[in-house]
Amino acid sequence: MHPELEILLQLQDLKAQRRELEEDHAERQVEVQEFNIDVARAIEELDRKIQEMEEQLSPAIRSRYRRISEGRGRAVVPVINGICYGCFESIPTAVAGDIRQNATLRHCEHCGRFLYILPG
Amino acid sequence: MQLREFFNREAISLNLKGETQDDILKELIGLLNLDEKSEGILFKMLKRRENLGSTGIGRGIAIPHCRSLVVNRLRVAFGRKPEGVDFKAIDGQPVYNFFLIVAPPLEVSNQYLPVLGKVAQFAKEPGIAERLRELKTPDEFLQLLEEKGI
Repeated sequence: MHPELEILLQLQDLKAQRRELEEDHAERQVEVQEFNIDVARAIEELDRKIQEMEEQLSPAIRSRYRRISEGRGRAVVPVINGICYGCFESIPTAVAGDIRQNATLRHCEHCGRFLYILPG
Repeated sequence: MQLREFFNREAISLNLKGETQDDILKELIGLLNLDEKSEGILFKMLKRRENLGSTGIGRGIAIPHCRSLVVNRLRVAFGRKPEGVDFKAIDGQPVYNFFLIVAPPLEVSNQYLPVLGKVAQFAKEPGIAERLRELKTPDEFLQLLEEKGI
């Protein structure tokens, strides 16, 4: 896997976790009631980690990542059954089904998001 | 929707070997049969979730969970460590039983939270710790889920 794709995947997962703690009432409730989590502290910690990981990206990729994140929300999306799960357009067959493609940092020709080919 | 529908015997281990929180998380992830890179990313996410607050909810049970792009559908696993492990549980006691729950960030069927809630409910059933301790085969675990009907 391309090392920056690995960072981008982790960033996306961290942001999903942050978004759900902040915006998803049901998820926040489960985390507080069942796991006793301190939401404010957790969000602070996630922000710190997100910033730290963004700094590990090369300037060009970081800039592209931030631009897509600000404009389209999720900057990294999976490709499942040949479909980009950002814009739901088809990805060329040669790319879509082969997880070895994750060795290269690719983006969707339609929406520009970074692509992660999910193993079958 | 019942918990039993989400578990299969390949993702159940009644004899986890790990001695630390990290070892246990890695073994649980191994039950999902992902590729090596995905396992590594998932481990980091689960560790970060544990660092926000332990998923050890007491009564010897922990429910490590997170959302991650490395899975394309809800995945669950169950592991038991008969000797117990320090998992920084809420009650400060060792953890013996582990339910792993992982879902993709965008989940059309929206089962992640209900499953998380049901596992927490299962963990609170009277006498459940004893029943889990007595299990001899993965099939008995599946039967217990069925019996509880949660």
